[in-house]
Amino acid sequence: MSDYSSLIQAILEGNDVRCVELTSEALNEGASPQDIVSSGLQAGMLIVGDKFSAGDFFIPDMLLAARAVTRAMEAIRPHLSDSGMPTLGRVIIGTVSGDLHDIGKNIVAMFLRGTGFEVFDLGTNVPSDRFVTAVKEHDPDIVGMSALLTTTMPDMQHVIAALDSAALLSQVKVIVGGAPVTQRFADQIGADGYAPDGGAAIRLCRKLLGE
Amino acid sequence: MPGFHNEKGVEAMAMTHKQRILAVARGEHLDKLPFGARIDVWYNYHSAHNTLPEKYKGWSQTDIVRDQGAGAQYRFFSVVKEEYQDMEVIERNEPPYIMTEYRTPLGTVSKKEIFDSSEGPWVRYEMEKIFKSENDYPVIKYIMEHIIPVDNFGAFNKVRDEVGEDGMVMTGAGLWSPVQRVMREIMGYELFFYELADHPAKVEELIEVMKDLRRRKLEVAIKCDLEIFNIDANWSDDIHTPVFKKYFTPWFQEATDLLHAHGKLAMAHIDGEMKRLIPMFLETGIDVAEAWSPAPMTSVTTAELRKAWGDKVTIWGGVPSMLFEPQYSDQEFDDYVLNLFKEVSPGHSFIVGMGDNLPFDGKIERVGRVVDLIEKYGHIPVEV
Repeated sequence: MSDYSSLIQAILEGNDVRCVELTSEALNEGASPQDIVSSGLQAGMLIVGDKFSAGDFFIPDMLLAARAVTRAMEAIRPHLSDSGMPTLGRVIIGTVSGDLHDIGKNIVAMFLRGTGFEVFDLGTNVPSDRFVTAVKEHDPDIVGMSALLTTTMPDMQHVIAALDSAALLSQVKVIVGGAPVTQRFADQIGADGYAPDGGAAIRLCRKLLGE
Repeated sequence: MPGFHNEKGVEAMAMTHKQRILAVARGEHLDKLPFGARIDVWYNYHSAHNTLPEKYKGWSQTDIVRDQGAGAQYRFFSVVKEEYQDMEVIERNEPPYIMTEYRTPLGTVSKKEIFDSSEGPWVRYEMEKIFKSENDYPVIKYIMEHIIPVDNFGAFNKVRDEVGEDGMVMTGAGLWSPVQRVMREIMGYELFFYELADHPAKVEELIEVMKDLRRRKLEVAIKCDLEIFNIDANWSDDIHTPVFKKYFTPWFQEATDLLHAHGKLAMAHIDGEMKRLIPMFLETGIDVAEAWSPAPMTSVTTAELRKAWGDKVTIWGGVPSMLFEPQYSDQEFDDYVLNLFKEVSPGHSFIVGMGDNLPFDGKIERVGRVVDLIEKYGHIPVEV
């Protein structure tokens, strides 16, 4: 395994140009794409997530780090074998019906991608039946829902009920987040997990999937 | 028995809700905690769905708050309107969207918005921001430079007269400060931070243009008979902390200097996570922090905020929206409010309010419950 400390440092600094340079250098030096991704890019993103949860990093740090990793992944993709990168799991994510806020959901989606999850982002204002259809279509391990408004957070329960009615609830873990959402609310609606921020969402998803 | 007199000699027992709120905002001491309640999310939702309680069907939101015995806190967008010159602005309604195109000599930009208060909140939400790429800087700069501020005092006065002495109309020269407008309305937070990393000079130039527009709007607004000007809203410490000192604080200092010179107070709507912004707030000159939303809505308790700010800033809020929801029992609600009174004891520089609104499934009778709790336990000095 190579030393990826410079690559991780570039991720922490949100330096996308340096991140791509170092990724290309590592590839040229014979490092395996899988190793670069898991020991460099994903490892860097986990540190960023932890720093965010600890209050040392802010949303712009998360955004720039995620962009740097996304660009490095684009450089790696042509070097991956046909089987591609093994994923940690599949996640469907969306902001619930009636709610147009997306930054929290976008951050979580970017971070999950950056740490090795395959993410299907359904966008904002997603009705219950669209979550159900997406679960049938993508067979995810986790369904993530976001809400910023107290008016829309009850819709999370409607989604859980819709998944249950479609006999899909037992196949997935449901996680929730967003400003007005609490662990207490998550417990009340029968969600499998709650994350107060993007860094915590990564840890929660990994925990739910036994990583 | 003589009544309690505040510092100006006005008999406090006879003071109106508006007078009480204004007195506390100006640093005066009262006999009991004032209460300004905001219910427009609840009201908009239930009016649109015809689900207002039977008693309140056909009532205005101010009358409902009056009936609960609280002071009203009414939101009005701005006392200044923006008119465009030397450009063509075409707005098309394509339900549920409002499409707006700005055709200028330097090029065309557009935005796509949704405005529907039937689910509660009333702010327009930009599905597509006006800024989409680096090419848009000169066009947006042109638009901002060619906006003419025009007073909106007639509409404001109508709302103010309706609320009367029973509360406060919260407004100013625009909901957001210049940099917040660039971040939130023009670009969106994500693109703002990418642009700030990639093209900092261009972002800063746009902020300066926006500040100049706001200066022109304040010149008009300052003539309005408004005692407290809202000058910003909707921060979250994980987004705003890294840019607050550099881009927000200097503007707040300039704006509050202007307002104070005209005998006005400055207010910010702080309904987000404030933890790392709390120390920075003291450098802004802002007098009133409204919509204070403590734990469990955010991570900070009112006691922690009071410890940090003392009486330097008037805090308005303290009862998180979620406490009004049925998931919390009446006993839990009462316990929370009484603990809030304890946290703000002896009770100066504090206006009881919600952080930031009565949610659509909130219990309206809990507004009256706060009034009762103030009557029983909210006399100053508060001794719970």
